[in-house]
Amino acid sequence: DRQTLVAVLQFLRRSNLRESEEILRREARLLGDDLGGSVATVATSSPGVAAVAAVPPGKGEARGDCGVGPSSRREPQEVGSPCAARSPGGSRLSEQLLLLAGAFAVGGAVVVEDQPDVSAVLSAYNQQGDPTLYEEYYSGLKHFIECSLDCHRAELSQLFYPLFVHMYLELVYNQHESEAKSFFERFHGDQECYYQDDLRVLSSLTKKEHMKGNETMLDFRTSKFVLRISRDSYQLLKRHLQEKQNNQIWNIVQEHLYIDIFDGMPRSKQQIDAMVGSLAGEAKREANKAKVFFGLLKEPEFDVPLDDEDEEGENEEGKPKKKKPKKDNVGSKSKKQDPNAPPQNRIPLPELKDSDKLDKVMNMKEAARRVRLGPECLPSICFYTFLNAYQGLTAVDITDDSSMIVGGFADSTVRVWSVTPKKLRSVKTAADLSLIDKESDDVLERIMDEKTASELKILYGHSGPVYGTSFSPDRNYLLSCSEDGTVRLWSLQTFTCLVGYKGHNYPVWDTQFSPYGYYFVSGGHDRVARLWATDHYQPLRIFAGHLADVTCTRFHPNSNYIATGSADRTIRLWDVLNGNCVRIFTGHKGPIHSLAFSPNGRFLATGATDGRVLLWDIGHGLMVGELKGHTDTIYALRFSRDGEILASGSMDNTVRLWDAVKAFEDLETDDFTTATGHINLPENSQDLLLGTYMTKSTPVVHLHFTRRNLLLAAGAYSSQ
Amino acid sequence: MEAAKMASPKSAPKDAQVMAQILKDMGITEYEPRVINQMLEFAYRYVTTILEDAKIYSSHAKKSSVDADDVRLAIQCRTDQSFTSPPPRDFLLDIARQKNQTPLPLIKPYSGPRLPPDRYCLTAPNYRLKSLQKKVSSTAGRITVPRLSVGAVSSRPSTPTLGTPSAQTVSVSAKVGAPVSLAGQRFTVQIPSSQPAGKSGIPGTP
Repeated sequence: DRQTLVAVLQFLRRSNLRESEEILRREARLLGDDLGGSVATVATSSPGVAAVAAVPPGKGEARGDCGVGPSSRREPQEVGSPCAARSPGGSRLSEQLLLLAGAFAVGGAVVVEDQPDVSAVLSAYNQQGDPTLYEEYYSGLKHFIECSLDCHRAELSQLFYPLFVHMYLELVYNQHESEAKSFFERFHGDQECYYQDDLRVLSSLTKKEHMKGNETMLDFRTSKFVLRISRDSYQLLKRHLQEKQNNQIWNIVQEHLYIDIFDGMPRSKQQIDAMVGSLAGEAKREANKAKVFFGLLKEPEFDVPLDDEDEEGENEEGKPKKKKPKKDNVGSKSKKQDPNAPPQNRIPLPELKDSDKLDKVMNMKEAARRVRLGPECLPSICFYTFLNAYQGLTAVDITDDSSMIVGGFADSTVRVWSVTPKKLRSVKTAADLSLIDKESDDVLERIMDEKTASELKILYGHSGPVYGTSFSPDRNYLLSCSEDGTVRLWSLQTFTCLVGYKGHNYPVWDTQFSPYGYYFVSGGHDRVARLWATDHYQPLRIFAGHLADVTCTRFHPNSNYIATGSADRTIRLWDVLNGNCVRIFTGHKGPIHSLAFSPNGRFLATGATDGRVLLWDIGHGLMVGELKGHTDTIYALRFSRDGEILASGSMDNTVRLWDAVKAFEDLETDDFTTATGHINLPENSQDLLLGTYMTKSTPVVHLHFTRRNLLLAAGAYSSQ
Repeated sequence: MEAAKMASPKSAPKDAQVMAQILKDMGITEYEPRVINQMLEFAYRYVTTILEDAKIYSSHAKKSSVDADDVRLAIQCRTDQSFTSPPPRDFLLDIARQKNQTPLPLIKPYSGPRLPPDRYCLTAPNYRLKSLQKKVSSTAGRITVPRLSVGAVSSRPSTPTLGTPSAQTVSVSAKVGAPVSLAGQRFTVQIPSSQPAGKSGIPGTP
């Protein structure tokens, strides 16, 4: 009979006799078919959606068996089998992979929750959690929270959204459609305004089959939503939930939510609102505790060709007695080794070629003539407007020395223009090259074919809109990534395509070369970012962890870290050396579209569709500033060459300049702040705003400070 | 966006109104008017594909009429083929872990352009076929142009036209192993780069 069956299954699982357990369960399924929703088997042929269910902390064993290749097992698994369900909806997604399944061969993840107490399991089974009572549970909780003390209410209100989504998804998953719909109708208006987009997506998921296709919702269901609650509030909540007879909500809380408890004052609504908004709640405090080397790499020493006006720069390792010239120096020179800087050989970097050294010399000469910016001395802005693009301009990049500008377009072309009077030339053909004199001084000029000189070069090759472009620092290569899933490397000497890097099989949203060349990063719809090297046809690193598409990828100036912004509204900082995620920043309320590292490597500025620019301290892992002012998505962010000014460009046709020096000074980093990660953000956006410059209906897509601190901006004229 | 010059709601066909309502429910407020037509077309194509598949399945199962199970099966099979979704998160985490364990490879100094092995690059030279004789007899209006498969002709200015007896240069891109009929013609292979010229033939695909 049923109870003995359940007990036997439980025993089998505890003794790790999985095969026999499965066989028995398969037969048991036949009995269980007529017994209500929670023992339904799913026979679908989804290509390998295998979910790892949450494990209650401290209890049981979770064996995530994500077999790839040879170890893939296709087993029938059950949804909400009474033995495993802590809550009636079942905590596993089980699919039965038909042998006809598609290309993916992912083994089912078998997650087993060991239930030390069989009787508890049986009671959980008996108490199926009547779907019609879900509304009561929720409104009961709502009532409790609204009646609680003010200081606790803000924190406990964080529970509403994840609970709402999980309960709704459980109802949908167990095919109680009408209950799900009425549940949604009743409570979706109570949620915070910044969750509206998610709720809209949720409203379209009315059947279980819909959930299968939506990776983001599946990930949401299987990952733990993180909440930060103070100890007092938590005790209050726990006491309330455990005393009631029907503790379904407590089950859900334990399974799907991770409550990061901190000791101290409960946070105010304002503080909470600043930090929440991402798809997975906030970040756990341990997630932001790893050491990050945010310092810059030392510039190598080399001889500068003698030039009268240039005394600076050749010796960049600060000799203690040498007076620092008034020229700007990149990076910190005062110490021999910056403790925050990574060791020089932490990751292999290409050595400097002669052309690179010449480039650096040019860089320093230009730096000498750089305008010092500040609140009294704002940069001039030169705007490059793309005409007749018919809303097809999707990506722009400008070389570091501001000599070339590239546009990626929705018609899959990549167009390169020369910004200076010097035209773009391609290298001569091999036959002609053998005729030139290789010893002459201007051999680099002679290899160029004058007949091909033009201001514009069009590069064909992609088969979908080009969403990201990036010049290499030595201006020899150009990268472009597109909706066709490839990243292409183009040579800027022959203006032909050299390599197509295939790895993402889905649109690639952004790509960028490393500041030292050779490496590049790309991020796309498959929710990962990949690190490539130009001479490897497969990626070197895969940065997986985001819950939704990776929309923006940037290298840190020391090339050891990569920041990725995603549609799940978080920014993650990854270590290139081992692929670990070292920082998670939450707080944006919309997908992130722009990232900028400060030139000293310590800070990160991010912009998203919510129109806010958030400033982060990488070392401490804290939010240090919020710049409000834009009214639409911010697609471009750039720090000036010395980090004094932050420029932001947005779809609302404006460029705004912010005072970065003032924004980053006097950070409160006392123990409490570093321990809990809570800050009180001053409302000083107005003070920091130095200027707003409007264009004539041209959204700003790209910003670039020249070496002399002139601000270049680019956008496509749109006639609306 | 251009001002939506949609048909006024009253005169738009009913399914177009439904589609507009769906777009509104999903929160999409700005769209070009042609989007509705494209969505309707897609819906029509999708539904007919599913129903055709369902008919095949039901006849395979020797049923007299199509029922819900057939439709469900048809939907599942189509989803696996056309609407693939990115791999699930745990799979990605797993392969990421494997990939991230290998240390970063050292960089060889003093190498030229750092590119993957030639096999993975697009740097192979293009081939051209160049005809030798101009005046293959204009007798009997025989077509002197070899038949080319689609896509084999690159956009060179001297694209051969039928029936022209002048000297013709026929270009075949190196990647297409298209069989070119060489009936009655002598061709030499002209390779633009300074490699030893090979005989005519199907250029090897990279």
